[in-house]
Amino acid sequence: MVKRIYICHDTKEGLFSALYDAWKECRETGEAGIAFYGSLESELFCEYVETIPNSKKANAVEQMIWKNMGKEAYGRIYQASKSMDSGKGTAIFQTMVAARKIKQSDKIMDHLTNPAVKKVHDLSRTVGNEELFFKEILRFRELKNGILYARIEPKHRIVEGIAPHFEGRLPMENWMIYDAVHQEFAVHEAGKRWILVSDVPIDGELLKDVSESEGEIQRLWKQFFHDISIKERESDIRQKRMLPLKYRKNMVEFE
Amino acid sequence: MVILEKQTNVRKTWGDIMKKELPGNVSSSVKRMDIFEKLHILTDAAKYDVACTSSGVERRGDGINMGNCEKAGICHSFSADGRCVSLLKILFTNECIYDCKYCVNRSSNDVVRATFTPEEICRLTMDFYRRNYIEGLFLSSGILKNPDYTMELIYTAIYKLRTEYHFRGYIHVKAIPGASPELIQKVGFLADRMSVNLELPTKESLHRLAPHKSRENILKPMRYVQNRMNENKEELALYRHAPKFVPAGQSTQMIVGATPETDYQIMRVSEALYEKFGLKRVFYSAFVNVNEDKALPMQREQGPPLLREHRLYQADWLLRYYKFKVDELLNEKNPNFNIFMDPKCNWAVQHLERFPVEINTADYNTLLRVPGIGYLSAGRIVKARKMGKVDFVDLKKMGVVLKRALYFITCNGKMLYPTRMEQDYIVRNLLDAKEKLPDSVRNMNYQQLSLFDDGGQGVWLHGQENLYLS
Repeated sequence: MVKRIYICHDTKEGLFSALYDAWKECRETGEAGIAFYGSLESELFCEYVETIPNSKKANAVEQMIWKNMGKEAYGRIYQASKSMDSGKGTAIFQTMVAARKIKQSDKIMDHLTNPAVKKVHDLSRTVGNEELFFKEILRFRELKNGILYARIEPKHRIVEGIAPHFEGRLPMENWMIYDAVHQEFAVHEAGKRWILVSDVPIDGELLKDVSESEGEIQRLWKQFFHDISIKERESDIRQKRMLPLKYRKNMVEFE
Repeated sequence: MVILEKQTNVRKTWGDIMKKELPGNVSSSVKRMDIFEKLHILTDAAKYDVACTSSGVERRGDGINMGNCEKAGICHSFSADGRCVSLLKILFTNECIYDCKYCVNRSSNDVVRATFTPEEICRLTMDFYRRNYIEGLFLSSGILKNPDYTMELIYTAIYKLRTEYHFRGYIHVKAIPGASPELIQKVGFLADRMSVNLELPTKESLHRLAPHKSRENILKPMRYVQNRMNENKEELALYRHAPKFVPAGQSTQMIVGATPETDYQIMRVSEALYEKFGLKRVFYSAFVNVNEDKALPMQREQGPPLLREHRLYQADWLLRYYKFKVDELLNEKNPNFNIFMDPKCNWAVQHLERFPVEINTADYNTLLRVPGIGYLSAGRIVKARKMGKVDFVDLKKMGVVLKRALYFITCNGKMLYPTRMEQDYIVRNLLDAKEKLPDSVRNMNYQQLSLFDDGGQGVWLHGQENLYLS
């Protein structure tokens, strides 16, 4: 039988719908892959199928993973699906196929000798590490209307992963985190749960308008940051290794 | 609270502070400084303290007040010396009645003095925390008037921060040696971590360089915090919601290279602190000469003894995670660490009779002692070999550093390469494999080290043979 490649958009709904179709038709053989629009690489002897995204399909797959493969595998797969790696869909599908073949499907993440499981594991770790990193280096600035605004430029879609952390930390603040690479917002209104917003045009001017005290506090922070270093120990290499230049773009102290 | 009235001129916003700034030079004792200047002075004075960890306590947000804590801690930035910036590390005041020879804030130094008000500390912490600059506050202080008075000031500041500003982030506070137990107890219920600096490893050195401090006064609060923490554990076992006393434990720090102590002496002290005082961490601070004083060693040409500091930290890990004892690593005859080789490798090449060990059968504690195998990979090995035989390829995936481990292990009875079990041969190969040193000490090459670096002993240990490679 020819291998089937399911093509979808790189969104949560798109990916999980493609998984649904692939699972329905190819779970016995495992001869299927998932590719995304925009990063298609044609393979020989393949049949390409376009997926129609649909929230019902996506939910069904999510439910199935949660129920049969357990909480840990679900978390890993979900995190891996936030990666920008184009092979993630296929790896997730193959992991599901592998889980079906073993007795204890909820132990699937221990089977690291399986290349697909290993890949899901690695992708999830990469995304998780980036989340941790942005919890550290994200910087809010206070806008005129009192809203805290942070702009980040991560490699993977991590807004969803870091928003709960800031919700716990700043429950009574209005804040938003803008992922400029993937054009996603996490918006939090004081006292409420945060929400994910995408595809909204933003008013760039409004975001530049900072509050009166913002400049002063930024200056204080820069001053502190400068003073805290011990001159006799200074090492540019070490600083660069701990905090690579590419991450410093949106950090107040390096402006 | 009398103190507060004297100290604070409560000013509500930074804007007000700026407006009220006095022009021109007023003499330093009455000068009203703006917050920038204060922050500059009191950061500069606090930076020599090493600890900047925000780890050890997990506290979720309560849905109303600002702040939570993550068990592993969070570093928010890295300063120009490559050290992490996790907490707002400041002194309450840099005025000090003590005259410790190594300290930049000693009473005989003519430096500009400044004192924060509790209000200022709270506002700085909250404003920084809100913008995700920091994980919390690290508050230390010079000794103003007397230890109790100073401790009371610190207490006032963090009391305000916790109760008025309802801050739930991390707070690390210095316990002032000589302060009364009641005050330390009050502070301990508000802080996450407390620390008293041991400053110098021996009583004699302390007496010589910090004549106003005594070993007893330093150890007393340490012991008190330890006892109180143990009591608190029992309280918490009984009542789950009882207030927590110093939940992230206590730490201390020693200056390395200002006095003639050997590495052996220093590590013995650390070991005693871990075992007898239940400390979470002991930090080592390479001596930076900030004062010209005849009691201090001259500033060395290549800067602070960073390599020595690095070796001490390596050995410190061996004590805490690898079940080593100090007496195994060093002794009276060899009192200092080998500067060419890390302590674990050094121990292994001196105990070749114990190697090679078989990966598939050796117990966990034996695996821990193999160079190139960390405590994480040792755990992975033990887990993985239940499923099947482990081979060199698997070891690599588990994170074992084979270029160091290969001389000391066998997999299924075979070594990776045919290897002579001779000390010279192994030492030569290990040195060829180049140790990964921190970038700060990497710039020095071995030649430089052997000519100028006396292992950080300063001027006291002339001619003493510190290196042992045989």
